[in-house]
Amino acid sequence: MTAATPDTVTTAAVLLATGLPFAAFALIMAALRGRPRLCAGLSIAAITVSLSAALLLLVRHWHMTAPIGAAAQWLVSGRITVSIGFLLDPTSLLMLTIVTAISFLVQVYSLGYMAGDPGFARYYGCMSLFAWAMTSLVVSPTMLQLYVFWELVGVASYLLIGFWYEKFSASEAGKKAFVMTRTGDVAFFLGLLLVLVHFGNLDILKMNAGDVPLHMPPAMITLSALLIFGGIVGKSAQFPLLTWLPDAMEGPTPVSALLHSATMVAAGVYLFARLFPFFRLSPTAMTVFLAIGTISMLLASTMAMVTRDIKQVWAYSTISQLGFMIMGLAAGGYVAGVFHLTTHAGFKALLFLCAGVFIHTFGTNDMFAIGRAGGRALKIPMICMTIGAAALAGLPPLSGFFSKETIMGRLAGLSNPLWLGAGLLGAFLTAYYTFRLIFAVAVPAPEKSGDEAPVGAPHGGHGGDPHHDRHYRLMAAPLVVLAGVTLALGWAHGALGRFLTAVDPGLDAHPAAHLAWLPYVAIGLALAGVLLAWVEFGRTASARIGFVERVEPVARLFARRWYIDDFYRWFLDRVVYARLSAFCDQGDRRVIDGGLDAVARGTVGGSRRLSVLHLSMVQYKMMVIFAVMGLLTLYFFLG
Amino acid sequence: MIVPYSHILLLSALLFVLGMLCAVTRRNLIMVLLGLEIMLNAGAVAFVGAALRWQQIEGQTMVIFILAVAAAEVSIGLALIVFAYRRTGSLDPQSIKDLFSTERP
Repeated sequence: MTAATPDTVTTAAVLLATGLPFAAFALIMAALRGRPRLCAGLSIAAITVSLSAALLLLVRHWHMTAPIGAAAQWLVSGRITVSIGFLLDPTSLLMLTIVTAISFLVQVYSLGYMAGDPGFARYYGCMSLFAWAMTSLVVSPTMLQLYVFWELVGVASYLLIGFWYEKFSASEAGKKAFVMTRTGDVAFFLGLLLVLVHFGNLDILKMNAGDVPLHMPPAMITLSALLIFGGIVGKSAQFPLLTWLPDAMEGPTPVSALLHSATMVAAGVYLFARLFPFFRLSPTAMTVFLAIGTISMLLASTMAMVTRDIKQVWAYSTISQLGFMIMGLAAGGYVAGVFHLTTHAGFKALLFLCAGVFIHTFGTNDMFAIGRAGGRALKIPMICMTIGAAALAGLPPLSGFFSKETIMGRLAGLSNPLWLGAGLLGAFLTAYYTFRLIFAVAVPAPEKSGDEAPVGAPHGGHGGDPHHDRHYRLMAAPLVVLAGVTLALGWAHGALGRFLTAVDPGLDAHPAAHLAWLPYVAIGLALAGVLLAWVEFGRTASARIGFVERVEPVARLFARRWYIDDFYRWFLDRVVYARLSAFCDQGDRRVIDGGLDAVARGTVGGSRRLSVLHLSMVQYKMMVIFAVMGLLTLYFFLG
Repeated sequence: MIVPYSHILLLSALLFVLGMLCAVTRRNLIMVLLGLEIMLNAGAVAFVGAALRWQQIEGQTMVIFILAVAAAEVSIGLALIVFAYRRTGSLDPQSIKDLFSTERP
């Protein structure tokens, strides 16, 4: 299908929504670094306009039946045309609203969280950069433009993860995130090149239109789908590129809330949704995606069960939930996956922001230390965190319950019961580790000596009474808003489903299997997980050791992230650096440098020999003159 | 002409080559100057022969010019040799080559 032309209001709204954050970024980075409050105001003003524009677009086009877009030709080369512009369809409108809303809430929250930080202005500059890159990614009409902004989002992530760059682990984490996502992006680009070479262009509407099989053999479609999915694996931290996300928690907590839970890592899932008809052309690839999503979901859940750091729990949880979304999409559930993306953005950002309040107040990331220091006394974060946790665990009537049920329904519709089993196991584990954290903070262990030292955060704790702090109010307001959204969003499931499939009803073609027992089993498993967590952590007299932590080798396996990081370290050291890099280094030094040095030495030596004639006795010079004269004579009289 | 023109040219050529050899192989700067003089005079012989051959007096005027140029050149050359002798204490061409160095000290 082709895109309808947009009217002026729509075009203006899109351009404002994407352009103003860029203007804010440029102004802040170029001129305003010395005035932090002005920078914050500028950035928040830009994102407010973006949010208003996104809401305006959403309301205006709620009943859209065709995608709207505009594009201008940028490069033409032979038969390949590259254009830039924008494309609005229901998914992109929804994602734009999510991105701008959560960016707005996080930027307001940061006024309180990052107050007093010496890099305050730089922080808001990077936030605006991210807002620009992410909104432009969402409305990109071609894969090439999307790839450009995909990389820009990665840059913003690198800058924000390594924000406190004086801390070595933070800058290392930023580097690791960028390099790992970049590795995925190499595969992504190869996939795009395959599509470009065979199909001729990278326009999203054309790729989804259904005549791709006329131009590409099935094997090539599968290969390019798998390669493009490599980019999703990198960006959304799926197996095997998942270890950068827990390390990315070195960044400030609002950054974790915005980038690494709700928006940037969701860009991978968004890409999946964008190219859903294209990916659906290859059932093999969809099965591979399903497998990777399942593995990531289960692996990350196990890692979350043994960690003590609040932010790491939510980081692993993000990987796990993204895997779950990918499972839903790969099982054919377009609305299911996108709806879970929406609800997850809401409650995961909420959970991170609540964690941020605790970290800001108590100065530590360790959940047990926070509990001991009196975490439950902070009423608003505690209540909001419990609401978010219940949504994450899938308890009704919160939004998480509705979205998880939809995905479970899709998994049940697959022929192999393995996937549904994995999904249910994941639900149980999710409830367990989520409420392990809640109980660790809410029901602290009685005082005993010899506990391990808490994991220090670079953010010092506050000494005074936090409740009447102005910063506390700035941080609490977004929490309340997000908690409200988490409570209410579940009921919008039907309306959102109709909105998303209005343009292309074929997206959600095969309806989910309606198993009557499924919701009850899922709720039962979630409650079982909560109960297990309560038994182990929630009772005042309990030992506060999880059932996994009792088995030392298993706990170590989970805590070492299934040795994935160790494998990467070994691989890099022994294979890449020792063999490949050493080979290239030898080639560079011996062949290239050696060759150039030999040429230089030869020139100098030759000149030294020839200079004998020049710097010598005057008679040698005369001999040269006479020799030339003699030769010229011979030439003229005999030639 | 009593003597064929080619013989005069051959004489001139032989004189020129002898002068060249003298200039190039001697270890005394004054002998180098002598060699240059012989080469110039060889050229003058060729001009005289040509004047006789074509019965034009310009050839002989050219010889007068050559003699004048040779005189001027010898005076400058001897001045330079005196300077070089004063600087290096010998008349060997080997010893003066360092005076031609273009390296900045």
